[in-house]
Amino acid sequence: MVTTTTKGLSRAHEIYADRGNRARELRKAGKKIVGYICLYPPVEIITALGMVPFRVFGDMSEPITAADQVSTTVVCPFLRSIIDLGLKGKFNFLDGIVGAHTCDIGMTLVISWRDYVKDAPFTHLIDVPHTDHAPAVDYFEGQINSFKRHLEEFAGEKLTGDKLKRACELHNRQRRLVRELYDLRKSDPPLLTSTETLEVLVSLFSLPVEEGNELLEEVIKEVKERKDRPAKKKARLLVWGPVFDNTSLYELIESADASVVVDDTCVGTRAFWADVKAPYDLHALAQRYLVDLKCPRTYRQSEPGETKRDYDKDLDSRFNYIKKAVTDWNVSGAILQSVKYCDTHGYEVPNLRHYLDTLGIPSIYIEHDYSERSLAPIKTRVEAFVETLG
Amino acid sequence: MENATPALFFAGIDIGSTMSKAVIVDADGAMRAYVVGPTGAEHRLRANRVMEDALQKAVLALDDIAYIVSTGYGRVNVPFADKQITELTCHARGVASLFPNVKTAIDIGGQDAKVLKIRNGRLIDFLTNDKCAAGTGRFLEVAAETLGLDLNEMGHISLQTDMPVKINSLCTIFAQQEIISRLSEGTPLPDILAGVYIAITTRVVKLARQLKVEPPVVFTGGVAKNVGMVKAMETVLGMPVLVPQEPLITGALGAAILARDQAFQLIQKDEYRVRRDKKLGEAIIDFGEKSR
Repeated sequence: MVTTTTKGLSRAHEIYADRGNRARELRKAGKKIVGYICLYPPVEIITALGMVPFRVFGDMSEPITAADQVSTTVVCPFLRSIIDLGLKGKFNFLDGIVGAHTCDIGMTLVISWRDYVKDAPFTHLIDVPHTDHAPAVDYFEGQINSFKRHLEEFAGEKLTGDKLKRACELHNRQRRLVRELYDLRKSDPPLLTSTETLEVLVSLFSLPVEEGNELLEEVIKEVKERKDRPAKKKARLLVWGPVFDNTSLYELIESADASVVVDDTCVGTRAFWADVKAPYDLHALAQRYLVDLKCPRTYRQSEPGETKRDYDKDLDSRFNYIKKAVTDWNVSGAILQSVKYCDTHGYEVPNLRHYLDTLGIPSIYIEHDYSERSLAPIKTRVEAFVETLG
Repeated sequence: MENATPALFFAGIDIGSTMSKAVIVDADGAMRAYVVGPTGAEHRLRANRVMEDALQKAVLALDDIAYIVSTGYGRVNVPFADKQITELTCHARGVASLFPNVKTAIDIGGQDAKVLKIRNGRLIDFLTNDKCAAGTGRFLEVAAETLGLDLNEMGHISLQTDMPVKINSLCTIFAQQEIISRLSEGTPLPDILAGVYIAITTRVVKLARQLKVEPPVVFTGGVAKNVGMVKAMETVLGMPVLVPQEPLITGALGAAILARDQAFQLIQKDEYRVRRDKKLGEAIIDFGEKSR
């Protein structure tokens, strides 16, 4: 039973403030909560087996103190924050943890979790190839299959085609609703701010899929009818980069006379843009996660394995989905943000900036160390960037 | 002589990490007065002080100022400013007012370095180094302290050699250790100093190259006052650089010119309000306030 009485945006605001609350309630009621890291573990399988997928995030306001026992400071501070919270017992409501080889540290994090955090009885690591050609998809399907078997064992039940289909439909519905929510940001000014959007999205990663869909329906209705619309700002921006699960960056940008109207991040569009296609089997899952989900961790070369130089064709193959977002949301500038030491995203930046140049979209690159404190020096750069757009 | 435009004046105030500057311009954008003073811990008191000094120099009263723009690291702490604009936009405007053809501006301040790409007097792209003391004025101060020299003296001594040593470390603290070990090896002082300048410059030029350095290049900021730095900048860039007569005040000058532009725009739209309610001496030090 949902104990809260608030609805829509205020409910999302509450969930955002205490993400684990609903999961703890559900666990008390006998549900199994399976945590996952990054976007590559197929949540449909977790839902289909009657468990609750819970996306594990870090905490930008919590100083990293315990993680030094298991990692040095030269790796991704977002993933370090996760293991830090794990070591401090903040995820002790999880029955399992699933990770994927999205990047090297993302993979070793799952091993560290198994060896040092130890709270969760179930740990699984999915190997994910780094290219999207057919043999890679087949290999990834095999990896999803072994995850399925392992989770079936843990759940004590078999995954039937029907159960998987139902779960795929529920998650696809969530994706469609999120896209509908994003459509409400196409107007000028957008009908909801990026901070409000992020609070809703983070909530979706903290709730069972049905409850998330219910929340989305409430929010969409509320936003369409709202009177207190956000103010019109000077610039309409796209934010690109790895995970950003904290509203602080969006608050900073929106205080600089700009609206963030769309994003290419893994808490936003990347998570919700691609659906699982019929016949909703493991191959369809492999296709959705490895090919249709666009994250720089998978290299989308125009001709796989081709080393002959065709720069423009490769750029287009890697980034053309951004062109659509830029047009549809009438974007006037792009903020590329990344967390320190993220080689996956760092590699993309010069090429992506070049691609945005060809679209006539000015961009700026900013780097932070996944702490609220590290955002302050960025403020002047963001303000100056918005000034150049005037 | 009859004056076509009313006697309007505009001010820019730049609260930097180390120095505060104020500039007053007239309706034609010509500079009437400027003041430079150390920032210290109390930005707001400092803002009052440089403004008062600039007014005194220009023989004006605050009521003669039609519009004030604040900029720099401490721009939020100027209670009497009408608008805040970042130092990047202000520097670009200030530099372009002095050198209308400028394409690249390199500014090295006490705590940061910035590279500005300018077209037709407007900022179009920029990069900053504000995370680390290497490549900033602070690096020079640390070197000067280590060697017991004054900053100006250091610049002149460095000109005595054509054989700068290589300072390998880009970290301010490690570079300090490197300077000490060079001294103990008996390396001549001019060689070490010239090496220090090359090291800072290399760091900043690396940043500049990301934006492609196109001449004419203007070099500003407190560090541009140092002859050793100017020589090093020209050596590393491989092209001459232009240095304004007073390289510290380009940000404040740009702010003053933007204040003038802003006021004229408002006057044109008939939205200009006389700033009578904003007085000097209103600086209240309140640390509980949300003003970061």
